[in-house]
Amino acid sequence: MKYERYHIPLKSVPSRIAPVPKFVIIRADNCINCGKCEKSCIYGVHKRSEVDLRKMADPVNNLCKNCFRCIQDCPQRAITMMVGPDYKALGRGLWTSLRIFTVWNEAETGKIPVFGAGYRGLFAGPGYDGMWTDMSEIVRPTRDGIHGREYISTSVDLGSRPAWLEFDKAGQLVTDMPPITELQVPFVIDTTRLRAVTNAMKTGMARAAKHVDSLFFAAPESLPEEAASELNGQFVPVYPEGADVRKIVLPRGARMAALTLGSTWREDAKRFKSMYPQTVLAFRVNAGKDVEKRIVELVKSKVDVAHVLFDEEGMELDSGEPRYAKDSLRAIHKALVAKSVRDQITIIAGGGIAAAEHVPKTLICGADVVTLEKAAVLALECRDCITCSIGSCPANLGDAPADWIENRLTNLMGAWRDQLLEVLGAMGLREVRRLRGELGRAIFFEDVERESFSDIEGGAGNG
Amino acid sequence: MVKDTKACAKDLPEAALVPSEHLRFMNRFTVTRADMCISCGLCASLCPYGVHKRVEGHVRILPPDDRRCIGPSCEVNYFFCVANCPTNSLSVGPSETFASLGDPRWTSEMILATWAMSETGRPLPLDHPGNVGASGGGFDKLHFKLPELKGKVDPSQICTAIDLNRRDSGAKIRIPIPIYGGGMSFGSVSAYTMLARAKAAKRWDTFTCTGEGGYPELLIPYKDHVITQIATGLFGVREESIQRTRIIEFKYAQGAKPGLGGHLLHDKNTPEVARMREAVPYTSLFSPFPFHSVYSVEDHKKHLDWAHAINPKALMSVKVSTPNDVEMVAVGSYYAGAHIVHLDGGYGGTGAAPEIAKKNIAMPIEYAIPKVHKFLAKEGIREQVTLLASGGLRTALDVAKAIALGADGAVIGTADLVALSCVRCGNCESGRGCPRGIATTDPVLEKLTDADWGAERISNLYGAWRLQWCELLARLGMTDISELRGRTDLLVHGNSQPKEASK
Repeated sequence: MKYERYHIPLKSVPSRIAPVPKFVIIRADNCINCGKCEKSCIYGVHKRSEVDLRKMADPVNNLCKNCFRCIQDCPQRAITMMVGPDYKALGRGLWTSLRIFTVWNEAETGKIPVFGAGYRGLFAGPGYDGMWTDMSEIVRPTRDGIHGREYISTSVDLGSRPAWLEFDKAGQLVTDMPPITELQVPFVIDTTRLRAVTNAMKTGMARAAKHVDSLFFAAPESLPEEAASELNGQFVPVYPEGADVRKIVLPRGARMAALTLGSTWREDAKRFKSMYPQTVLAFRVNAGKDVEKRIVELVKSKVDVAHVLFDEEGMELDSGEPRYAKDSLRAIHKALVAKSVRDQITIIAGGGIAAAEHVPKTLICGADVVTLEKAAVLALECRDCITCSIGSCPANLGDAPADWIENRLTNLMGAWRDQLLEVLGAMGLREVRRLRGELGRAIFFEDVERESFSDIEGGAGNG
Repeated sequence: MVKDTKACAKDLPEAALVPSEHLRFMNRFTVTRADMCISCGLCASLCPYGVHKRVEGHVRILPPDDRRCIGPSCEVNYFFCVANCPTNSLSVGPSETFASLGDPRWTSEMILATWAMSETGRPLPLDHPGNVGASGGGFDKLHFKLPELKGKVDPSQICTAIDLNRRDSGAKIRIPIPIYGGGMSFGSVSAYTMLARAKAAKRWDTFTCTGEGGYPELLIPYKDHVITQIATGLFGVREESIQRTRIIEFKYAQGAKPGLGGHLLHDKNTPEVARMREAVPYTSLFSPFPFHSVYSVEDHKKHLDWAHAINPKALMSVKVSTPNDVEMVAVGSYYAGAHIVHLDGGYGGTGAAPEIAKKNIAMPIEYAIPKVHKFLAKEGIREQVTLLASGGLRTALDVAKAIALGADGAVIGTADLVALSCVRCGNCESGRGCPRGIATTDPVLEKLTDADWGAERISNLYGAWRLQWCELLARLGMTDISELRGRTDLLVHGNSQPKEASK
């Protein structure tokens, strides 16, 4: 067997619509067309008009990088700059304009965002923004860097792992091996909660999932025939609450299926297990009060995977006092560890995964796998409008071809995997499985505020 | 230890105005004149600030010079142009250009305040908005409980000096201000930028650092004020550059990209940089993480011993970032023989780093300082270690807060560059590098920074900072900055500066 090292091939996938400029340059009427700005600008924002060389052309805003050279050098003080109104209007809540912009760039280039100058944002924030991952001064994962010869694994298993194996006297395995499926990346694509999905989007996303050896979650009948036939094991059909398990016919080759937690879930699980013993069974659970108890019950009923759902902001869905996914997942992980059953169930966390750093942070809090939902659509230049309609989409998503979608998503997943490698490298870990539930390798805002500022008036834990 | 405050405040450089007219381009307010203006010139005769100007013989009035405008608060004045305009064609509002400068950590006010101090050398009041950022945490939420100033501050009576070697053996080095310049490599910044920093360091009898890109010959005349950094890539590390220096800095990690090693993207690795680093031009250079010869504290000691053998006179500084176990790292460094433990927090500067590393890996410096300070004290070695903090210390007040949290002093990077007219646009990493000629190796762009001009600006900034520390210490009733160390009781954690001291 030929050894092939896992690698996501990336190539630039140009955008289909006019770029949204981060900064807008305005040239006032008192411009004397001297052309000094053309000389000052090293990015090519200012150019002479091709039609009339005596005049300056309109500034090419999307090339502007906020250096103020043209403003500084203009003898007429005719140039002003503003944060682009379209850019400013992008996003809300957790999904800030910067995050959306970053996802666009990652999907376009497939590269890790690297910039000069230090951190520019807020000190900390709610949810995942209130934690930092640890690093190690001495331990390193490999001898020659994260992209070196030694491999850092990002593969994860979905399914229940037996705590031990039993063999008979003849050395034959007697333990009933539960089904387990392996992914090369700790993220999957889930389309079931998206606001608008076209067939091309499903086909493209499904192919991207296949491309990186991940999984694609969608309603069973919704996948176009063409894509379904290509996919074999990567397609995970998701059945809604109340679906009649007896009538379920799994697509050919399905490695995993997801049911939605309802009142009859215990019988459903039993029945499904008897019908498809070799298929990984997942239950979708809305995160909320006592979700950790619910998951412990799932383990008792031999459910292999719990898919815990949060809202777009990464908060619990069914709760009067919703917790952040960070806290909810930690509670789940700790409850499972306390019952010594952590490895008997895999946790998939969905919702509120808006940036590459959320992947390692979710894993540290106790999930095994995260889902790309809104981020997957943002990769297609979605602007996250408040009202969404494919017919009047500013990114023209209705016309987006499947292969373009496939490549954009592959780029996004490639960029996110590479950023995961950076975090693993800094922590000195060689495989992402070791990251799960490594709460001791994270720094939580509440804890450090208390540890460091408790003797300061007004500090945490001090009045 | 020298305790004579007069001696340590002697022979400090004088502030001198540095002509920086080209940096006065920023307007806080925008004055708009609509088309219905009849160019009567009333506004020009009213405005005492010179926003409006009408040139004799011109039919039309000149466009408003809104840099001079004091904003809508002018409405209380009888000469307010907007209210007086007979055709109602004037309006005043906040400037969009001003709003597009800076970010929550380095606000536009802070950048302009730093520029003003670099230009004049005069300190800004301690309650100036440019002293605090808007990031909503850390230093931006810590404030001093400041009593009103009684009498006048006499800077010559206040000592801001710190000792860099607090061990019993080795050279005694004392710097008159509690800061020195952090490492910025040749390649990430231009040789002129390094030279400007070295000149300012010499003037203040403090230090700057080579960074990991080798020791440009330009700096040799300033060798007594340049720290040689030995970083993981060992780029340009030579015996002679180690022997030349008074302080050797081992860089284990950098706060902005802890655990990742240095990045110099291919565009900036020009033939000159490559020669210095003994690398192939125009390839991306990633220094590894961490030292390949260091797997333990024992290895670390071996490493320091090796440098000590090459230059027995030099002090050893160990620069580490801020993981969970930073206090153990600090103790280990002390026992390995380090004189200076330099903590670099996560929000520090960089010439190029993955965005994911800047916010998310390792803790901010504000948390690490008290952690290490208390632990060293518990171990009984606090008085043998010089603890320096860096990584997101932007102003004199940030430095003072770091000292109050438990550091002896600080290491400054970005503020030096802002003094050199950096606007923190964040485009240092690729292409031709910095469009403002600071963090670039482009032969045309680097000429934008004049080393002498830059040195004077940095020197002015240090001077203004010293005066700010003097005022702070005087108001706290102290005469020596070392009295401030670990005085967390003087701090209050909250959203704004307390109005009155609660004493």
